[in-house]
Amino acid sequence: MKKKLVTVTASVLVLSSVLSACGSGNKENNASPSASPAASPSASASPSEAASPAPVERFDVSLRHIQIGELQKFRKAILDEVVQKAEAEVPGANFEMDAVEDSFNRWTKLPAEMAAGNPPKIFDLFGGPGDGQKFARANKLLDLTPILDELGIKDKFTDFSTFIVDEKVYGLPIGASAEGWFYNKEILDANGIAAPQTLEELEAAFETLKGKGVTPIAMGSQAAWVPFMLLNTLIPRYAGDDIQAGVANGSRKMTEPEVVAALAKYKEWVDKGYFTKGELGIDYTGQTNEFVAGKAGFLFDGTWRVSTFNADGVGGALNGKVGYFAMPAVPGGKGDPTSVNYNQNNGYGFSADVNDNEKAAVKAFIKNLYTEEYQVRGFQEDGVLPSMKVDASKLTSDNSLMQQVLAINAAAGKVFPHFDSLVPGTVNGEFEKQIQNLIAGKATPEKAAEEIQKAMDAELAALK
Amino acid sequence: MNKTLRNPYVYLLFVLPTLGLYGLFFVYPVLQSVFYGLTNWDGLTPAKYTGLDNFVKAFNDEDFWISVKNNMYFILFSLFVQVPLIILFSLLISGVKRLQGFYKTTVFLPSILSTSIIGILWGFMYHPSIGLFNNFLGWFGLEPIYWLSDTKWAMLSILVTNAWQWMGFYIVLVLAAILAIPKEINEAAEIDGATGFQRAYRITTPLIMPVISVVVMLSIAGAMRVVDIVLVMTNGGPAGATEVMASYMVNKALRYGQYGYGTALSIMIFVIALLLTAIYQIVFARRQERIEY
Amino acid sequence: MPKVIKKILPHLVLLVYVFVILFPFVFVVFSSLKESNDQIVNAPFGFPVQMAFDNYADAWSQAKISKYFFNSAYLAVGSAVSSILIAAATAYALARMRIVKVSKAIYQFILLGMLIPGNVLFIAQYILIQKLGLLDTHWALYLPYTAGALPFSVLLIVAFMKAIPSEMEEAAIVDGLGVIRSFILIILPLTMPALVTVFIINLLGNWNEYLLANFFISKDALKTLPTGMVGFRDAFQTSYPLVFTGVVISVAPIIVIYAFLQRTIIEGLTAGSVKG
Repeated sequence: MKKKLVTVTASVLVLSSVLSACGSGNKENNASPSASPAASPSASASPSEAASPAPVERFDVSLRHIQIGELQKFRKAILDEVVQKAEAEVPGANFEMDAVEDSFNRWTKLPAEMAAGNPPKIFDLFGGPGDGQKFARANKLLDLTPILDELGIKDKFTDFSTFIVDEKVYGLPIGASAEGWFYNKEILDANGIAAPQTLEELEAAFETLKGKGVTPIAMGSQAAWVPFMLLNTLIPRYAGDDIQAGVANGSRKMTEPEVVAALAKYKEWVDKGYFTKGELGIDYTGQTNEFVAGKAGFLFDGTWRVSTFNADGVGGALNGKVGYFAMPAVPGGKGDPTSVNYNQNNGYGFSADVNDNEKAAVKAFIKNLYTEEYQVRGFQEDGVLPSMKVDASKLTSDNSLMQQVLAINAAAGKVFPHFDSLVPGTVNGEFEKQIQNLIAGKATPEKAAEEIQKAMDAELAALK
Repeated sequence: MNKTLRNPYVYLLFVLPTLGLYGLFFVYPVLQSVFYGLTNWDGLTPAKYTGLDNFVKAFNDEDFWISVKNNMYFILFSLFVQVPLIILFSLLISGVKRLQGFYKTTVFLPSILSTSIIGILWGFMYHPSIGLFNNFLGWFGLEPIYWLSDTKWAMLSILVTNAWQWMGFYIVLVLAAILAIPKEINEAAEIDGATGFQRAYRITTPLIMPVISVVVMLSIAGAMRVVDIVLVMTNGGPAGATEVMASYMVNKALRYGQYGYGTALSIMIFVIALLLTAIYQIVFARRQERIEY
Repeated sequence: MPKVIKKILPHLVLLVYVFVILFPFVFVVFSSLKESNDQIVNAPFGFPVQMAFDNYADAWSQAKISKYFFNSAYLAVGSAVSSILIAAATAYALARMRIVKVSKAIYQFILLGMLIPGNVLFIAQYILIQKLGLLDTHWALYLPYTAGALPFSVLLIVAFMKAIPSEMEEAAIVDGLGVIRSFILIILPLTMPALVTVFIINLLGNWNEYLLANFFISKDALKTLPTGMVGFRDAFQTSYPLVFTGVVISVAPIIVIYAFLQRTIIEGLTAGSVKG
């Protein structure tokens, strides 16, 4: 755990130097749209394996991804390019793309395929005990260590600890992200609200917006991982930055008064009507759409959302009108108010069941996707923070929103992970259920905390 | 002649495909379910025998019983809302001469659409801002209702959509039975001075009881296995308010890898279905001609 | 009650019901012709002004609806035909052939299958399909659809065939007709109404099926309409008009087919239900 924090902090530090570099001279450059993303076919991508002239048999390589719809178009474009390159390098390879919605893939389809023994050859995968580590222990995932050694990129990643079992690597994070508050400057200005610095100001802003008939916080909690993001940051603010790790290893409890206080704060916001009405029937895209449509003042979301507000993104209308800040300190909270949630828990995993041809295709996929070029492009186009060590000089952004994100990450004294990268799947499921119960008024904060702790205790007991 | 009809080879030829498929897709999975239901199989590691643990757990699983209750809503809604409406509309359609074909064709229309498309269609009907219902409420200056995201309304919304989809199908069945009643019976009653309502209540309805019994049976069977409409419209939400037995079972097994528990639940569902069928036979079907060999 | 009211009242009630049925369709068609979400949000029930027919071209090219439609159509028809043929043959053996004791046992055995709510066996069937190596092929749907329809079909057709008087068949057999030909030439035509009914019910069931299709098929090229359309909705939910257009495109052919066949379909159901 400690080691992970060090590497993550290191990557944040790298980013901070980037930021200071671009903070100085970039103001004038803003006018010229220099970031033309498509025109960067870097020379480094020359195919190393010579294509054999002999006729080769075509073979399919199934590839499950979650880049569905307009909102993910930048990342889908990168994926398409990588696939093309990999197909060119491996004679006969035909990547068969299968797009599946994120939570359906993560919670239903992939687990079912794992149990049935027919996962795709390449698939979107989360790390942690509920996902990647569980599958790795059941020998369902391809051990990537030899491939990484061969490609010489093993030490290029800043942190893939949630994908490691017994010192072997079973998955590669595609990027990193932090989570924080986005706000609509126009709406705040129109209502005479300055960007909030403290919890008091934040709550005052909610109250003002609500009074004016504007939804304070865009929220779509049909899938519980969405409201979970906000709680995942609120809880450490109250209970300390080690709460996730503590709950996962049994040294801390969900029922501690600080955790309950965080849940109570969330419930208070629900009861005061600060979130989108009918949030339990709105999905993640619906939440994004509401904010993009200028109907809500705030949005708590991951930094991957930054690209949505690019001029050519879905939320292009809000280009330049969105700000970002970290969750403020809470009164009496144990958490470091500068610390941020920081994840690199999502990426790709590969089926253990691959033949030589497919293995070659997998290798080509990894080789082409996990490059500095795409890490930088993902950062520039899509606001995805790098999961690999990247030349700091390339991580500049003339996007003011991205600069804010980088500044906040750079200022972070500590980082904390997501519960779902540390606790077993059943506990995460109970957590999600209780969050929705809290929102629906079916559970009190105390009761919700109790139920989650009960699930955790059961898992801990089973380990012994 | 008897010899011809006792040809064992032809008999086997005719019976074996059914028995083969039935054995493979019904009998084997049932046995498999019983076997896994007694284990803690997680889909990834070898199964361990745990006896009746899963069943004890199921009896104490509050969420499972909530899903059972939701299936019961489907049954109750069918019996007390759909069936009376089905009879009413069937009687009305059978009574008109003009446009009868048009009505018959139109009411059946929703039944040919796939459930997922109906889910999408009705998702927009219930849409908080652009949906039909909230616009309607708006005309009266009423506050919008969050049909699919309010725990109080979500179940009812799904029930209404489900009724919209299937009522026409049953109406066509009942209508056929009504139209098959010899005209003389009704004519005689009319001469005796019976009003339209009296004729419908005292003559037609009793005569179509067998087909209504079929409708009730099909409704119960449909309510027991309902899942598609829920998955498409709410995915069991908000906060589990519309979870049905089948979706709960699938979720337990697939998401949490509790295959042992999931299959134990499937056996529970089977038992509940058996109980309902028994109750139905005792209460309703005793008076009717049962489908018997 | 005046006679006029008596005549009009049923129509009034029925027209309200017809309106309730048709309204969603009209709403969808209108919305599919609008240019933006705003137009739909601002006047959900307004007539489209500009008639954005481009939506149709977009949806057609982006959604692969034709492919989903074709997959659904041939799977639904294929397995409905298979199950009706298999069920009819079995029903004939059980109802008409004189191996009574065995038939009775088989009948009771199959009757048990009727009591199992569909979906209950989902998990076990999933494991089975996986063991057979059929996941991600159309066999993964074709076989369960065909098998799933059998208990109901056999029972209904047996009831029907039992009701056919035996004289005709007996006379034919005395004249030297074999049992298979007697089945095909005499009993099958007489059972046609029931077969049509069962066929339609099975066809609708297969056409609508979502749960198995969702889990047994991953490849986009093999997806059926129900899962394909849900995917389409998820992918294009930022653009309501496009989603509506997709719905119209996927529904229209069915309605056209239904318009042509409605007499057969409804008469089939009608005949079946009255006798059954």
